[in-house]
Amino acid sequence: MSWRIATSHVSRYRYASPVVASYNEARMTPSPGPEQLVLDSELRVEPSAVLFRYVDYWGTLVHAFDVHEPHDELVVTGTSVVETTPTAPSLAGEPGAPADPAAKPGTGPVAGSDDPGSWQQLRSTALRDRFSELLAPTSYAPFDAELAGAAGDLAAGADPAEAAERVVAFVHDHLRYEAGTTGVSTSGLEAWRLGTGVCQDFAHLALSMLRQLGIPARYTSGYLHPSAEASIGDRVPGASHAWIEAWVGRFVALDPTIGSAAGVRHVTVARGRDYADVTPLRGVYHGGEHVQLTVEVQLTRLA
Amino acid sequence: MTELFEGYAWEAAWDEMFGAPGKPRLPNRGLYATLRTLTPADLDERCAERDRSFRDRGITFSLSGEERPFPLDPIPRVLSAAEWSQIEDGVRQRVRALEALLADLYGAGQVLADGILPRQVVTSAEHFRRAAWGLEPPNGVRIHVAGIDLVRDRHGRFCVLEDNVRIPSGVSYVLENRRTITRIFPELLASHHIRPVSDYPAKLLAALRAARPLNAGSEPNVVVLTPGVHNSAYFEHSFLARQMGVELVEGRDLFCRNNQLFMRTTGGRERVDVVYRRVDDDFLDPVQFNSSSLLGCPGIVNAARSGNVTLANAIGNGVADDKLVYTYLPELIDYYLGERPVLPNVPTYRLEDREQLEAAMVRIDELVMKPVAGSGGTGLVIGPQASDDELATAERSVRDDPRGWIAQEMVTLSTAPTRVGGKLEARHIDLRPFAINDGRTIWVLPGGLTRVALRRGSLVVNSSQGGGSKDTWVLAADARRDAAGDKPPSGAGNGCDRSRLGAALRLAPVGGPEPGPHLDGQQQQQQQQQQQQAPC
Repeated sequence: MSWRIATSHVSRYRYASPVVASYNEARMTPSPGPEQLVLDSELRVEPSAVLFRYVDYWGTLVHAFDVHEPHDELVVTGTSVVETTPTAPSLAGEPGAPADPAAKPGTGPVAGSDDPGSWQQLRSTALRDRFSELLAPTSYAPFDAELAGAAGDLAAGADPAEAAERVVAFVHDHLRYEAGTTGVSTSGLEAWRLGTGVCQDFAHLALSMLRQLGIPARYTSGYLHPSAEASIGDRVPGASHAWIEAWVGRFVALDPTIGSAAGVRHVTVARGRDYADVTPLRGVYHGGEHVQLTVEVQLTRLA
Repeated sequence: MTELFEGYAWEAAWDEMFGAPGKPRLPNRGLYATLRTLTPADLDERCAERDRSFRDRGITFSLSGEERPFPLDPIPRVLSAAEWSQIEDGVRQRVRALEALLADLYGAGQVLADGILPRQVVTSAEHFRRAAWGLEPPNGVRIHVAGIDLVRDRHGRFCVLEDNVRIPSGVSYVLENRRTITRIFPELLASHHIRPVSDYPAKLLAALRAARPLNAGSEPNVVVLTPGVHNSAYFEHSFLARQMGVELVEGRDLFCRNNQLFMRTTGGRERVDVVYRRVDDDFLDPVQFNSSSLLGCPGIVNAARSGNVTLANAIGNGVADDKLVYTYLPELIDYYLGERPVLPNVPTYRLEDREQLEAAMVRIDELVMKPVAGSGGTGLVIGPQASDDELATAERSVRDDPRGWIAQEMVTLSTAPTRVGGKLEARHIDLRPFAINDGRTIWVLPGGLTRVALRRGSLVVNSSQGGGSKDTWVLAADARRDAAGDKPPSGAGNGCDRSRLGAALRLAPVGGPEPGPHLDGQQQQQQQQQQQQAPC
């Protein structure tokens, strides 16, 4: 059964003194795909700016804008109405895939593999090459012998789909969710050593382990409606959220923070190798020192 | 032989001037006839005139903080029309294939889907820019200027050592060298029908104008973007801007507004349509790349993406001249063009392939090991010249990071008479032809930059001793004396030789960054070797 969710994501940047030139890219509005239907989506900027939209390498919708009017506060608001379905996520976020998956050649079944999603297929040269970017370590999701060992133990006797689920459950069980213990630049490995973290850390840790098993996996950012029993029309506070998608013959969305598959409560905004590819707002500006960022996310189940 | 050529020693290399002792090759007969009438004192005099000429025009070369006259060897290098025709065809073919590759990699990715080029080779390339994906240049051109580095093996075949399609430099020296040689050898210029090089700035400007955004008028505003006066190629940036009659700007002179690019002028802001940028991708746009860079202009990449400004060369071109991608060029020429390579590659091992790695490691003492990227402080290792310890270290480095290295067969670089200590001796040379793509034709500057290793037997110019260059002559086809002999040996399909006598080394760049002070011998070697990566 599908959900219809209204999202509102407000980022408010305050500066100590006026900023005169600010150049930014926002990744704050949902991307369409088989797992979700975007009914409505808008990005607003105050002071007002002309928006330039494009779809990036990872299939994420980007709004680029620059602000020249002197301002001591920049407010970027992304709103959307999305119909989520329990469908497996698309290939749309595959490296280099355009927004329209039909336009992308070579995304069909991998030739010569009659056992999709098997370890044998995942170890094939063709597949490892196709997903090389989703198998390589990154600074947020580095490789580590201890993690590889733990992942290997979990995968024993399991097929890749089951192994991915076990890894995600393991991360859920072994990291304690605790805001403030890690920062935006903490790696999954650092969080593992701390034993605590937030959704970003859960996702990065899971990516490290999956990739070391040879399971292609990508970072997914968006929103999670906090309540499975949400009443229609109730607006609830939420937060930016992160989970992962693992390729086990197809992409499956798994959420290590909640320890289960991602589903109708998840709204997908951006995909990439790690957080660095999906940063909600990034840019440069001239002028006052940045003193405060407040982020407010609100989610309303409409149907 | 005459006094100047006394003791001209042969190496087992192709000599550009002589087919046999005292027997100049056909295109060189006129040059030889003149040179044999000169005494060493005459040549000294011409060289003094050369130095005055460079000083008068302020063309100097900064070396360890000291400004010296640009190191131009007085003896030109001569290429016949037939030899040039093959180079021209080969360079054009190369550029067509590289353009097709870039369009594909930053678009549909068909070559990846078809399994011709592994995706991993592309995505692990240092200069692959995901921000360039989907960015379509107005007239389809990404390689407005290319420099394709060629070496000539001991059979006289030209082969490609390296492609440079990011920011190839050195063309200003080609033009200045010609001016100077014209001044010091007027009789030679009069007696030869040499194809001119002075068209280059006009051809470049025409190509930049042809690349203008669709919404720009018929008189697009073209600028040259330089990192500034401290850049080792600043002379070239200002030279080209002056020759083209366009503004030379730095990042701070530019700003973007609503995805349009403007230049600050005393008369207010002025729209900019085409940027011939000599600033590396990394520093071009802090929104996309190095966020602390002040050399570029924030927003310029999205201005290009939205079609309001053209960047020349395009961002992300470095994936095409990656040293590992290079090894696929013969296949890519076939894939995109359905042709056989006119100019072969130097035989190269792909070390990520287990079998090739082992095959290369067995004979590491015969090969040249080159780092794929110019970063990381590692330099190339010349097997036959390296100690056992150095080879062991190199093997460890390669095994640790096979993607980071290629192994190449040694190629004996050709030699040419070069003035050393008042006389002429054989020295190794290479050649960098420059090509300009205006979207309709690919024009190859007749000649290019010939670089010389000034030390005897050396295949690397030690820039602290001054890297050399030569004026490079292409004889016009109507020069009858050129018609009969000296056909270029066919290079297609044969590959370059595998002689152990020399190394397929890039000569150090003319005008490259100077080595820092206080380097010991080992470090200095690495420094210079890194410099070999520098001109692009």
